[in-house]
Formats: sequence, structure tokens, C-alpha cells
Amino acid sequence: MLRAARQQEQAVAAKPSWSIVVFSIGGMKLAARTEDVGGVTPWGDRIPVPSRTPFVGSLVKRDKEVLPVYDLASQLDREAQGESMLCLVARHVDGPMAICIDADIPSLHTVDAAQIRPSRRQDIETVGSFTSDGEEIDIVALQRLGKTRHESLRQ
Amino acid sequence: MSLRGHYKAASANVQAASFLVVRYGTRLCALPSDGVRGVLTKEEAGNGQTVAWVGVTYQNVDLAGLLSITLDTTSPDLRTVLFSNGHSHGAIRVDEVIGLVEVDREHCLPLPPHFQRVERTWVAGMIFYRDELALVLNPEWVLGELGEEVPREAGAKTIGAFTASVEIGKLC
Repeated sequence: MLRAARQQEQAVAAKPSWSIVVFSIGGMKLAARTEDVGGVTPWGDRIPVPSRTPFVGSLVKRDKEVLPVYDLASQLDREAQGESMLCLVARHVDGPMAICIDADIPSLHTVDAAQIRPSRRQDIETVGSFTSDGEEIDIVALQRLGKTRHESLRQ
Repeated sequence: MSLRGHYKAASANVQAASFLVVRYGTRLCALPSDGVRGVLTKEEAGNGQTVAWVGVTYQNVDLAGLLSITLDTTSPDLRTVLFSNGHSHGAIRVDEVIGLVEVDREHCLPLPPHFQRVERTWVAGMIFYRDELALVLNPEWVLGELGEEVPREAGAKTIGAFTASVEIGKLC
């Protein structure tokens, strides 16, 4: 736990500024490092898969590619909003994953590293958080979604 | 007893795997065709808990339930697939039998590694059927030979590695 926190702080301190994608799920603003995002496309139909892996229970098809879906909305106890929801492709350590996000187009931001601090969130893996317009926005560790801290440290 | 069609997804190849593709709603599933013993209409299958056919008794298998979906009992194309792996014999009701498909083994896709638990023994992989994705189901799971299911852990945040897996090459 301490090691993870130290790693997070080291990551925060290593860069002068961070390139960030801000998106929302169920109205909750979240962020991700741009290098962890493989793209944003219209959301397709989910193909459910019988599964016991938490938050991984469906697939989406993109042309000839099949992506597993990480149900971040369920993990946050929310539902993606809007008529034309979007698919955010996460560059996960096990391969690309699709995340259903709100219809609001994600925006790009550059955040000074000094503004980024360790997140207090415990329910999802994060690499830090920052404040924008008075709102604290957590930076989701897309690469490690669904991994415990222990598993993340082993990799 | 006839199937709608026999669709070759790839050019003839000795390395091909053969599946019976069935439909539940908009979802497609693929059963290894070597286990298919017959396809019956609603009238032929009857309404009992078992189906007796050519000297073999097939127990009803609620595949729709295993997949957490509902069988459309009003479907005019409803069929019962008689399926066997040699030890167990199951009668599987499906909304529709789409047809037999041959797929080059190299076109069988494994379940992505993000699926880490017991489902790796349930779903052997995926194939494309006319641009739609079909899950290749493990006959032992379909026929109830894998024992008790792992209970769902509501809200669990950790993922335990599930080491047992169905080799994709075995079915595809």
C-alpha cells in the first residue's frame, strides 16, 4: 500500500505537465492520461458473455476487432448518460478494453504536475487527481483497471 | 431435421473447425458440430423434461438460463438441438438454428485475457459468423459436467486468476 502510494507520488513528480483526457460517466467527471487512451468512438452493441470476472462481462465489436468491455459505470454505481454514448478505448496491460462513457465529447487538458496529487479514492485504481473549476477529478489508471494494487505491483 | 444452410466462413481447409450456430434473440452461440445428434421442431421434441430420440434419452438443458437470457418460446423457428459429448446427452431449446459453419482454426479467437475466472472454462472462444460474433461454448459446461458454479461476488473489486481454461485449439 505504502509502496503503491510512493509509486503514485513518484509518477506525479516525474513529469512537468500531464496530458489528460477528461470524460464523464453518469455525470461524474473522470480523467485519464492521454497515453492510456487508444481512442474514442461511438458505442456499439454489447455482446454479453457469461462471466464471473468483476465488471468484465461483455464484448463489443469494432470492425473486425473484438474488445472486452470494462463496466466502469457499474463499478462507480452509475449509468452512462446520453443518447449516443461513447466508447473510450483503454490501453490496458492485458490488451485494449472498451469503456462506455457519457455522450459528452471528452476534452483534452494539460495539467501542471504540481497540481496533481495522490487521489483519496479507494474504489478504483487511480494515478492521482487534480482540481478543475473547483471540482476534484480523479485520474483513472486505465492500464490497471480491474487489477488489485498487489497485482499491479507484481507486473 | 434439416438445417437452414451450411455456410463456409473460410476456404476449404483441413484445419477447419465445424460448429452449429444457434440464436437467442440477437445473440449467437456456436456448438461444436461433432456433438450435434439432431435438430427437432417443437412438435418433434414435445414438452417433456426429456427427449427420446433414436434410442437415446436427452435431458433438457436450459442453455438460455446459463447465458442469463430468455428463450423466446413464441419463436416460429424454435428448435431443440440434441447434443451429446458421449457421456451426457442434452436437449437444448434455442430461438433458431442458424446453420452449420466451418471456420479455419486460425480464425477462432480466444476469449480475451481480461476474462480471468471460471468463464474461461465455459466459453472456448469466439468466431465470426457473417460479420456477427458467436461465442463458442464448451460442451462440458453446456451439458452441466463442470460442477457447481462459482457464486457471483457482488461488488467485488479484486480479480483472482483462474488458472483452468479450455484450450481454444481443442474446440476450434
